[in-house]
Amino acid sequence: MPSKDKGHSAITSSDQELVLSSLEPEQLAGLKKHLIPRRHLRGLEKFVVWSLRIYLVFMMAVVLYQVWTSLH
Amino acid sequence: MGVGPLSRVTAQVVTQGDVAITHEDVDRAHDRVRVSAARAQRGVFSGFRLLWLLVGPGILVMLGENDGPSMLSYAATGARFGIGFFIPFVVLTFCMAVVVQEMTMRLGSATHRGHAELIFDRFGPFWGWFSMIDLGIGNFLTLITEFIAIRAGLGFFGVPAWAAVVSALVFLFLAVITHRYWTWERTLLAIAVFNLVFVPVALLTYPNWHSVGRALITWQPLPGGLSKDTLIIVLADIGATVTPWMLFFQQSATVDKGLTRKDIHLGRIDTVVGAALAAIAAVATMLATAPLFAHHMTAENFQAAEFAQALQPLIGRFGAVLFALGIVEAGMVALVTISSSAAYAFGEVARRPHSLNLPMAEGKAFYSVLFLCAAAAGAIVLIPGLPLVYVVLLVNVVAVLAMPPALVFLFMLANDREVMGDLVSPRWANVLATSVVVFLTLAGVLFGISVIAPNIFAFLGGT
Repeated sequence: MPSKDKGHSAITSSDQELVLSSLEPEQLAGLKKHLIPRRHLRGLEKFVVWSLRIYLVFMMAVVLYQVWTSLH
Repeated sequence: MGVGPLSRVTAQVVTQGDVAITHEDVDRAHDRVRVSAARAQRGVFSGFRLLWLLVGPGILVMLGENDGPSMLSYAATGARFGIGFFIPFVVLTFCMAVVVQEMTMRLGSATHRGHAELIFDRFGPFWGWFSMIDLGIGNFLTLITEFIAIRAGLGFFGVPAWAAVVSALVFLFLAVITHRYWTWERTLLAIAVFNLVFVPVALLTYPNWHSVGRALITWQPLPGGLSKDTLIIVLADIGATVTPWMLFFQQSATVDKGLTRKDIHLGRIDTVVGAALAAIAAVATMLATAPLFAHHMTAENFQAAEFAQALQPLIGRFGAVLFALGIVEAGMVALVTISSSAAYAFGEVARRPHSLNLPMAEGKAFYSVLFLCAAAAGAIVLIPGLPLVYVVLLVNVVAVLAMPPALVFLFMLANDREVMGDLVSPRWANVLATSVVVFLTLAGVLFGISVIAPNIFAFLGGT
């Protein structure tokens, strides 16, 4: 139920009306704790995501090698 | 009330009265009332007022990305390679930034969720944590370079390094002290526009406009051909316009500002205007340092203050001061936006309140992350003997390498009909986004080849 925040000025009923009339339901901070349903990656998506992950790890190793050669 | 596909679930909760209204909601509601009032009126003035109320995240993200390392990359580009290849190249990179950032704005407006939150919810914590690690490392390294820029820029005026770092942290504190997104955004926008200070600096060098026009039309070849050095600059310039923190920041800022599906058209204008302003500042920076290239000055190891000092005989003390101030401003604005991006992402993942509308008591975790990230990065910059310009270029390179995995999640989310409804990306946007991913991946692969087998470019006709 609509409430007031402890330690701050109370949220009045007109505030509540204002919020409920001008914000979309998903915009309410309290509702963001509700998770959006999960979806699982399909075959091609999994392949692309894993490929790019391996690419990133490899390229980071290249960057470290570049730093190492520059320092020596 | 909500019209998005997720509204069914949330509307049900609201009707059941099972929701606590917070100060964050009240502040955002006041902002939305002004938007609704402007939208309800007719006429040109109301149209501009609506645009004025809704611009912000797009301009901030683009000018925020024209940060310390970016401006130094552009300065190094102009000084070492002139403008022939790089002016059209930088314009192209900003076009890529528009394609990518428009998707984040659309996602934020349609779902009212931040980027980190959406990845965690939709794809699970395994991929969510990978994205967060990429973002965390990238943000922290970039924050270090912002302090490098601030330190170097203020160094031109004789400010000691420790004082520069403390000034930057005070600036960060003042930027968020109002605990109001609207005030934060407007203040930062006013300061970010100072990024255009590089335009008068460029004008002071009396650029040859015929050459500038020819560069834009003909797109001359890369000076010296492909080599490890030129590739680092190419990648640094790409990393100066598209980086992972921008995706997270613009989506979170869009949500915090409260944009909705009705605002997407003006959100696009916001993004394009931001990109245009940032491109103008970037090109101006290259034009400003291009005389160093023309005078065959070795600028390989220049730092920000040294660029300003080297330019002083050509553009005078006033121009050099403007250049140094521009570097400081670039670092300061990005310090605020990147710290905010880290704090937003933390709050989204940890399910803690995350908004610049939060009073300090409600947003302790949010504000602590924001300040601690910045303070830790600032402390590192005080380490003596750090190779500053090298670090700056390297951070931009790392940003480019981290982009393709981040973009793939953005791409999947923007095409996810369950969360986007009829706002999924159109085919043309998917073609452009795929091209950006392929382009960035190829640029990274070329860089990898240049490091592992540098002689291959000599074989292909480079240096």
